[in-house]
Amino acid sequence: MKKLLLFPIFLLLLGCGGDKAPPTDPSLTRVRLALNWFPEAEHGGFYAALEHGYYRQNGLEVEILGGGPDAPVIQRVATDAVEFGVSNADDVLNARAQQAPVVALMAPYQINPRCIMVHAGSGIERIGDIADITLALSQRPAFSHYLRKKFPFTGVTIVPYPGNVTQFLMDPHFAQQGYLFSEPFVARNKGGDPRSLLVADVGFNPYASLLIATEEAVAQRETVISAMVRATVAGWEQYLRDPQATNRRIHRLNPEMSLDILAYGAEESRPLILDPIARQQGLGQMSLERWSGLLEQMIEAELIAPGAVEPGRAFTTRFLP
Amino acid sequence: MNRFLSLFLTSVLPPLLFFALLVLLWHLGVVLFDIKPFLLPGPLRVARAIADHFPALLYATGLTGLGALSGFLLSFAAGFLIALLFSQSRIIARSLYPYAIFLQTVPVVAIAPLIILWIGHGFQGVVAVSFIISLFPIIANTTSGLTSIDPNLLDLFAMNNASRWQVVRKLRIPSAVPAMFTGAKISSGLSVIGAIVGEFFAGYGTDDFGLGYLIILTNGQAKTDYLFACILFCTLLGLAVFTSISLLSNFLLVRWNGGED
Repeated sequence: MKKLLLFPIFLLLLGCGGDKAPPTDPSLTRVRLALNWFPEAEHGGFYAALEHGYYRQNGLEVEILGGGPDAPVIQRVATDAVEFGVSNADDVLNARAQQAPVVALMAPYQINPRCIMVHAGSGIERIGDIADITLALSQRPAFSHYLRKKFPFTGVTIVPYPGNVTQFLMDPHFAQQGYLFSEPFVARNKGGDPRSLLVADVGFNPYASLLIATEEAVAQRETVISAMVRATVAGWEQYLRDPQATNRRIHRLNPEMSLDILAYGAEESRPLILDPIARQQGLGQMSLERWSGLLEQMIEAELIAPGAVEPGRAFTTRFLP
Repeated sequence: MNRFLSLFLTSVLPPLLFFALLVLLWHLGVVLFDIKPFLLPGPLRVARAIADHFPALLYATGLTGLGALSGFLLSFAAGFLIALLFSQSRIIARSLYPYAIFLQTVPVVAIAPLIILWIGHGFQGVVAVSFIISLFPIIANTTSGLTSIDPNLLDLFAMNNASRWQVVRKLRIPSAVPAMFTGAKISSGLSVIGAIVGEFFAGYGTDDFGLGYLIILTNGQAKTDYLFACILFCTLLGLAVFTSISLLSNFLLVRWNGGED
């Protein structure tokens, strides 16, 4: 609902130019990065680049803007309210289907951390076997539609995602979506018996925590784009090497995220970011095969009309080091 | 000129013309400023979205409407009984009225998840949220109607040794009918909002969906044209509910003022 109020504001912003405040250091280019959620481990690389000065070293003064539920990242980037954003591959494809000219520049997470959290005591070992329970899924992202199309889910009642683990802890016949290192960690801390079933394992694997910008910026501000990508890749490499200083920064910004959960997040992210492809081709790589594959899956799940999106135009790898 | 034609020209045509003018300005705006669909879709795109998803929109509107109507009817019945209680006992009224006001002021989005936790997902959760939101205007208006009686009439009834129940049945309730319907008209709109907000949190089964579900879906997937279509249907639903309640109340008021006994 809040997005409706933002439309007139965006219309105004379309008319306004970019009268930003003058940068503190005139030799640095000021840019803003809008996150798609509250600051957390999934944004570790961006904060690491800030914390360890990589952005400055590459001539950028980066301001990271925290997001939250319904954060309008795509809209803000597409209307030039901010220069960069963080998003996921399925959201990028949805946006492009609506003619939002956003482009993905690098993909830290080769393996999407999305999981379905079931009770270990339920005996369910695979997503396809989920039956006769209540399953909390958000209808916003694409993965829930894909799963519902692919699996019969007999006897399953789908309810909205509650945003916490309370119902999971109370009800043994309850399962919900989650991020691999968030909800299961919290549930286990509170004495629950969570088992995480990775959605990527059933074949739906959109890149996550993508750095995005507009087509226009990619064409006309190559130096800035290049610098941003370079520094961000270095930031992610640093975050995986030693996340402590960065996690302290994230914790200050978002006290809800304890240092424990951030450390856990950084640790669990390593295999998702430095998978065999990243080890071979470098952190942040993307392939047309995966983007096309994802598009096919979303078309099959009736989320995007056939022919609405050209997958090759949704991303570019030419700025990756 | 027959009645229907004159009714059409005076009541229906002006809003329709205004709407047509708005649509024209909207279309021109989108074309002239080259506004992209994800930001503000033009009326043609919204019309196409309606055409593409018409069965879904119709079904969702029906389900939400059912939830809203159920919530409204429940709140009308409960509100009437509570107001009756308030009108009969001043001490009860003074003790409980502030809590009725609480229903008005508490933010729905905050209590809806709690309601769902206690009452459960699905239709019952949606009706519960719709009920909570619609309750206060009925209580407030009906209480006011039941207690604002001409003292001369009360004296008249007292002089004729009317029992408390007779006073209620023959004086208070008939006098309260206009106020009750004012409350009903207000609640009718609120019940639709309540049903939609309830759906945000209560959801439904795997293949059932109301307008609230569609709003979340289209919003999250940047399908702004479909979102606008949903909003249009929400508005039409609210209009339909409000109009039916108004027509019903007008009809009943005419009958009632004819001297029911």
